[in-house]
Amino acid sequence: MKRWQPFEWIAAIRFLIEGRMQSLFIIAGVTIGVAVIVFMSALLESMTANMMKRTLNAQAHISMVPPDEVARPLRSGSGEIVLTTVQKPTQRIRSIDQWRSIRDDLERHEGVTRVATNVSGSALAARGVSSRSVTILGIEPERYFGIVDLPGNIVAGQARLASDEVVIGIELAKELGVTVGDKLRFTSATGASVILSVSGLFDLGNRGVNIRNAYVALRTGQALLGLIGGATSLEVDVADVYAAEEVAQLVQAETGIEADSWIVTNAQFFNVMNVQTISNTTIRLLVGLSVAFGIASVLVVSVVQRSKEIGILRAMGASRGQILRVFLIQGGVLGLIGSLFGSSLGIAAIYAFHAIAHNPDGSEFFPLILDWRLPTAAAILATATGVAAAMTPALRAARLDPVVAIRG
Amino acid sequence: MADVLLLERVRKSFGIGTPVEVEVLHGLDLRLEAGEFVALIGPSGSGKSTMLNLIGLLDRPTSGRLVLHGEETTELGDADLTRLRGRSIGFVFQYHHLISAFSAAENVMMPLLLDRGFPTDEMRTRAEELLDQFRLSPWKDQPVLQLSGGQQQRVAIARALAMNPALVLADEPTGNLDTKSADIAFDLMREINEARGTTFLIVTHDPRLARRCDRIVEVVDGMITSDHPNVAVR
Repeated sequence: MKRWQPFEWIAAIRFLIEGRMQSLFIIAGVTIGVAVIVFMSALLESMTANMMKRTLNAQAHISMVPPDEVARPLRSGSGEIVLTTVQKPTQRIRSIDQWRSIRDDLERHEGVTRVATNVSGSALAARGVSSRSVTILGIEPERYFGIVDLPGNIVAGQARLASDEVVIGIELAKELGVTVGDKLRFTSATGASVILSVSGLFDLGNRGVNIRNAYVALRTGQALLGLIGGATSLEVDVADVYAAEEVAQLVQAETGIEADSWIVTNAQFFNVMNVQTISNTTIRLLVGLSVAFGIASVLVVSVVQRSKEIGILRAMGASRGQILRVFLIQGGVLGLIGSLFGSSLGIAAIYAFHAIAHNPDGSEFFPLILDWRLPTAAAILATATGVAAAMTPALRAARLDPVVAIRG
Repeated sequence: MADVLLLERVRKSFGIGTPVEVEVLHGLDLRLEAGEFVALIGPSGSGKSTMLNLIGLLDRPTSGRLVLHGEETTELGDADLTRLRGRSIGFVFQYHHLISAFSAAENVMMPLLLDRGFPTDEMRTRAEELLDQFRLSPWKDQPVLQLSGGQQQRVAIARALAMNPALVLADEPTGNLDTKSADIAFDLMREINEARGTTFLIVTHDPRLARRCDRIVEVVDGMITSDHPNVAVR
């Protein structure tokens, strides 16, 4: 007996050791349960973070563009519609009115962390006989790079955008057979044409973006797209990515400019993520419940087996509270030990899975993101579950009538 | 001599308010003084065990007074009864009822541990002294289930004395032992009684043991039918 251990701890540990087979079996059960929870949580967290990173790596949380142009039907002097069929107008590239003041207002908006001005439109990139359709993105590097980490995803050259330079994706470079330092001709739909030098190649982890986007300086983009001094979109980052839609609706109402959050533009991805989270939570809940019932059933049996001893302890002066705590501690200890083994097993399994699972091209299936708060949370939760599961048997033990218990 | 126990008109009924209500103790009066060594005898079903449960504060009388060690128990709550029981009464049962997860010395320490909450060196010393007195020192660290029946009962008696209680209640303490072990256990209780003045109330069916007690109280059909000193011993 250790001098610093109270009676309740001493008795709880001795009872667990004495019933070692029962204890081992339930610890094994808790271990498996916690391992499943840790493995699934780590896997989901890694995959979600990876998908989020891939999605948000190449786009802002909110993109604000001018509203679509609408053709108004012709009306008579009395207000009646004269023509009933109104053809939808084609959407030309337009600048956002007063974009500078709107940008300044947005920067002061609650929840908004960064705002960048873009001008974008389609163009043809050509080198020799090869040409590809691309999206020209005229950006202010110092603002835009705070939203899309282009410099961090440069695989060759630099994210440098002088007025005669362009940064393109690795897929487009491959298609056109260019590398850093090579020249490319860009021709827009307005007929404007410019020859730019490739200053860097990026890989944003998204094939579509890597083959489509061509980043140029804002002024170069404005000149190429025929929008001198204009901006076709305002790119906004917010503090809470999951609150992007609420912020988008708010700023749209305030500015009258169409604001689409990444949640809306990636609705399918977001739905998949939600379904994954719900199914994972359900599985974790069910596993947690089975762990709780396992601990409770073992302790119920233990109370029945030890009823005489409980009666004797009560006769010798043990209070109901002391007896209650002996069994609550047993539940907590079973949960804690099981969670320590389970967390270790779950982490080992996620590392093993990460090492084994690969994409068809041999690259890693997902970058492993292991938050060390996960095993800590698992340990706390499993211990709390153990204590909660032990409540019924512990109350039963504490309420035992010593006369009845001793008589058996 | 000071009273260790006082029962006045103590009644006990079971199934109160139901069609099967039955009164098993019909107004008992009993006084035990410090240092007495008393046998409680009577046929099976006479109410001896019920009486022992009431005296041991494991159960409450339906009516009447029960004063233990000068403390009126009738109005005490569960926590106070538990505290008083732990400090004033030692129990010895027919089947030793030791805690199997603990060694002999730890079992003897148990009442002290329950009272104080944490183990101390003094508790250990006290347990070892008692085990030494009961000639059990070589087995002090043995798990109790590895001891013989006689040894286990001696450990149980040592445990009952750990808190140096005013009263030891022994329910058929030798009923499960062979004659030799029964004599050893009884002699130990007698030694403690004489050396420390601890009061013993021993329920027994064994007339041989009853004849070795100072006083014999007989219970029949829930009433004390005789209570007299054992002249043979005196």
